[in-house]
Amino acid sequence: MLKADGLTKKYGAFTALNALDLEIEAGDIFCLLGANGAGKSTTINLFLNFIEATSGSATINSMDVSKHALETKQILSYIPENLMLYPNLTGLENLDFFCGLGGKNYSKDELDILLQQSGLQADFIDKRVQNYSKGMRQKVGIALARAREAKVLLLDEPTSGLDPKASNEFSELLLEMKNKGVATLMATHDLFRAKDTGTHIGIMKEGVLVEKFESKDVSFQDLEKLYLKHMHN
Amino acid sequence: MKTSILIAKKEIKIALREKLVLALSCIILVLLGISLYTGVVAYKQQQETITNAQVEKREEWLGQGDKHPHIAAHFGTFIFKPKTVLSLFDFGLDTYTGTSVYLEAHYQHQFMFRPAQDHSSMIRFGELSSALVLQILMPLLIIFLAYASFTKEKERGTLRLLSSQGITLTSVAWGKIIAYFIMLLAILVPFALSVLLISYWLETPDTVTDLGIRIVLLGATYMVYIFIFIVLSVLVSLKSSVSRNALLTLLTCWILFTIIIPKTIANFGESLYPLPSMKIYKEAILKDKENGLERKTPKAERMARLEKELLAKHKVDSVQQLPFNFEGVMMQAGEEYGDKVYDVHWGRLLNIFHKQNKLGSYSSLVNPYMALRNISMGLSATDLSTSIDFQKKVENYRRSFIKKMNNDMAQNSKYGEFYEYSVGLDMWKSVEDFSYKTPSIYTTLKKYTIELIALLCWVIILISLLNYSTRKTKLTNE
Repeated sequence: MLKADGLTKKYGAFTALNALDLEIEAGDIFCLLGANGAGKSTTINLFLNFIEATSGSATINSMDVSKHALETKQILSYIPENLMLYPNLTGLENLDFFCGLGGKNYSKDELDILLQQSGLQADFIDKRVQNYSKGMRQKVGIALARAREAKVLLLDEPTSGLDPKASNEFSELLLEMKNKGVATLMATHDLFRAKDTGTHIGIMKEGVLVEKFESKDVSFQDLEKLYLKHMHN
Repeated sequence: MKTSILIAKKEIKIALREKLVLALSCIILVLLGISLYTGVVAYKQQQETITNAQVEKREEWLGQGDKHPHIAAHFGTFIFKPKTVLSLFDFGLDTYTGTSVYLEAHYQHQFMFRPAQDHSSMIRFGELSSALVLQILMPLLIIFLAYASFTKEKERGTLRLLSSQGITLTSVAWGKIIAYFIMLLAILVPFALSVLLISYWLETPDTVTDLGIRIVLLGATYMVYIFIFIVLSVLVSLKSSVSRNALLTLLTCWILFTIIIPKTIANFGESLYPLPSMKIYKEAILKDKENGLERKTPKAERMARLEKELLAKHKVDSVQQLPFNFEGVMMQAGEEYGDKVYDVHWGRLLNIFHKQNKLGSYSSLVNPYMALRNISMGLSATDLSTSIDFQKKVENYRRSFIKKMNNDMAQNSKYGEFYEYSVGLDMWKSVEDFSYKTPSIYTTLKKYTIELIALLCWVIILISLLNYSTRKTKLTNE
């Protein structure tokens, strides 16, 4: 579903991402771990075609994102660290608007259900987003991914800054989408969430994917040791 | 297109919820209302004054009693410049060009009673006309409405989310442009309809078609102007990293367009093509009448030559033997030579005006405000060329009226018979009252070809730049 082949991004002499090879199948949740500047967000930006690769390719559903920018975006959903919606619109209006952009039209009741299924409290649905917490906005993001029937999820530190309860709810929603066959690439600092939610884990350091394994193959303690080892080196 | 419409709907919804935009729109609407009201009041007052004065002066002319036609030519009459109905929308140069002129033999008097003379010092800084509100304040509203159209999305992070939905930045930009245009039309359309209805109510039935076309053309030109400012604002916002920069850039453009460039061009025009002072201008005409153009044929010489020619032609020895009153012919010949002198000097003056105006026209290539201002004055018939056209027609009227008096004197009176000969009401009635019709729309628009081309160029260049920029913009740093 998602494939990076020798994907490289350079800014002058600085290499932000170096020859990344990665494959994520439907139903996989690939968690990219790494310190700030390790290349996690660069990877996501390259899949979103927000930036151009220096070499290599990023493909979604066998389509090169740089050649099929609009088509690939039709099947993915993106939730950044801080999902920013239109503050003067309600959660429901935001969802309706973004669904419309993707060519999906839902009735008010259907949107209502989607938001509630994504964990947004019913009494907040018709309130303006300026009154929402970060967690609530992330839930609207999940509702949007569901509504768009996204086949691919690109998540850039989506649980950063969320309280444990909200993080847990978010993970549950991810697992639910995983079971529906959604391929997810999630950049995160949260080792626990990566182990708990991810099917695969990769550790990035200075633009290089230094480790890649299935999460079931390591315990949380081993993951922590491995991560710290790379960070200290 | 569907995406752009969705974005437009969203933009309108958000704008309606933002109090600042609503407040600014209300201010513009109130100002338009006030300016239209004052325009109507000023139009009606001035039109009434002109109509009354015109009737009074006509009665004076008809009731002047029996007298020698040349005395009547000096008794003269007054011509009043009629207000065009669209002057209630765009005052143009009406305030500065004078409202009436005294017509008599031998002299081309200047227009008198400029409305600006009666204004207080505060109003002299510029009157509030609807055209001024739309030309200067409307762009400010557009700037406040659209300066953050893209920067706010970048700052908030919504632009990344928008872009991740599989839509192009071009469709986002056009969605915003459509939204702002619709919002401004909500102000412009009711206002234009008000102008149309008020104008029809005030205008005579024979000119309603012309008036309707003028209003439609004015509306279209203003829409193009508004569109230019919207696209410019969206483009600047797209290219700016933060809202503050976009606002500063757009405000700088606004100051350049509405204050600095027009004033600079006006001053530059004056320095490059200076006008002679009124004193020098009048003295030059008097001298040339007396000494002949280029001092070649003094008045006495011209008259002696005329006398000689006529005596030879009619084979007589003295002017008393001529079959007409030589004094009348001499008067007309003097009048015609005076007209020739006047035409030379007036032509020079017009040439300077045209050169100064051409500068203004060319400046519209870099300033859409200048283009709109000129076209608006032209369509409202309050521009310099309409004023010049009026002066030309008044002068032609003066010439035919004086010629009639001189011809009557030549044909019907005898040489040396001045106080003994008189004419009366029939003669005064034969001089028709002056009536003025503004140049046709086609003639007017032809004068503003550069301005029309400039507006078209602005539209094409801005659209091309916007489409190019939206295609090239990457979201790397946002």
